[in-house]
Amino acid sequence: MKARINLIWPPILIGALFLLAWQALVVIQDLKPYLLPAPSLIFTTFTSNLSLMVETGIYTATTAALGLVFGTLVGILLAMVAQRFFVFRNLMIPIAAGIAAVPIVALTPILNNMFDITSRTPRVLITAIVVFFPIFVNVYRGLTAVPPVQLELLRSLSATPRTVLRVLRIPNALPFFFTGLKVAAPLAVIAALVAEYFGGPQEGLGSKIAASAANTAYGRAWAYVVVAIIVGLAFYLITLALERVATPWAGRTRSA
Amino acid sequence: MSEFAVHAEGVWKVFNEGAANEVTALSDVSLDVRKGEFVSLIGPSGCGKSTLLRVIADLTSASRGTVEVAGMTPQKAREDHQYGIAFQQAALLDWRTVRRNVELPLELAGWDKAKRQARALELLDMVQLHDFAESRPWELSGGMQQRVAIARSLATDPEILLMDEPFGALDEMTRERMQNELLRIAGATGTSVIFVTHSIPEAVYLSNRVVVMSPRPGRITHVVDVPLGDRNEDTRESDAFFEAVTAVREALRGRAKPVGEGGARLAETS
Repeated sequence: MKARINLIWPPILIGALFLLAWQALVVIQDLKPYLLPAPSLIFTTFTSNLSLMVETGIYTATTAALGLVFGTLVGILLAMVAQRFFVFRNLMIPIAAGIAAVPIVALTPILNNMFDITSRTPRVLITAIVVFFPIFVNVYRGLTAVPPVQLELLRSLSATPRTVLRVLRIPNALPFFFTGLKVAAPLAVIAALVAEYFGGPQEGLGSKIAASAANTAYGRAWAYVVVAIIVGLAFYLITLALERVATPWAGRTRSA
Repeated sequence: MSEFAVHAEGVWKVFNEGAANEVTALSDVSLDVRKGEFVSLIGPSGCGKSTLLRVIADLTSASRGTVEVAGMTPQKAREDHQYGIAFQQAALLDWRTVRRNVELPLELAGWDKAKRQARALELLDMVQLHDFAESRPWELSGGMQQRVAIARSLATDPEILLMDEPFGALDEMTRERMQNELLRIAGATGTSVIFVTHSIPEAVYLSNRVVVMSPRPGRITHVVDVPLGDRNEDTRESDAFFEAVTAVREALRGRAKPVGEGGARLAETS
């Protein structure tokens, strides 16, 4: 327990010192808010607009969560197809790499034109595209990086490919999946926010940050950035908790 | 039913046949293992002992020759769960409890839950790991993990036990304890055992017969009978034991007279 407390305090202390130094810099140098607003200003803006902040945060979190789920499902599905069918393997991997290289900033306005102006769909799609790659790569790796001796064991037991998938490949891929998800979850929030930044409905953190900055309301823009950080962290922590529950054996020394 | 647990005749295994990197792993190997017999395969790396075991297990197929396992083709024997296998690595699944690892072969053979649970606990009793049934594999020592792997290999009560250096990664003390345990289990279940090892004393202590193989190309050069009777604590220090160890060592060095004409065919011992 004591060791735990010792782990928690140093980052909090450093964070507090950082904010203090920031505040001091702004006050002493008399920096204007468009250059760098003081933490105190960001904080008061945040608290006095709390319900709007929460509402906006939830909108973006919803977009990010939808895109995360969709991108994850597609990533898992295609990784399984690539593992199972040799023909698809050589086809799928370059395509996956291609998807990873899609410039989402350029794609967003194009997708926005394809859907209704009030639609959330283009943003969800953008998020899904960003999420897909880390999930696909990690799950594919987990499904294929199976110890040969365990494959031989299952062959000696006359297991069908489907049984091997269920008994060995999928559990083996779980820790890999969570490695991918830990990258993908905060990325989903960023992708959703970036997608909101470039047009579409005037909802969500990205839209509000762009609008606030355009209206020289820098304290508000920064307050939304704080909300974005909180949402991103929440996504990461939820993933971490899921990982703990789902793969208690991960990180242990392998028994094989 | 065949009187042999394993019957192999004129078996060849050639990798990359016809290609420039062709390797002959087994050349004209013949071997009969009687029911209930304990036979060790010994020889330097690359002598084909593991390949022979894998051919018997139908993890790879022979290029030429006949192999019968429990009176059927190796493929049929594998599909029928006629043999159990254990490797140098315990190869336990980390996400399953010890008990559920032992249950794996029963699960794949379609046993219902209650029956396979009872059977797994019975097997864990036999390898003296009953108290660890609900532990995770990574909570166990190497020797304990290997005992779980042996329990798993015996799950379907197979005719034949195939073991590929199962004690290779264990320390000497654990190893000797495991050898006694294995003899006790094999004796109690009447299972025939084919045991691949690098260790001469291990082969001699465990086996009724030690099959000596030599590389390039992999073939059987000698078969040493080990008439030691029931093993006990004194066996390892007996003169007969040392004589047998010497005989195997001489055979490995190629000094002893090969058994049978051409060396590959085994003498039929009673």
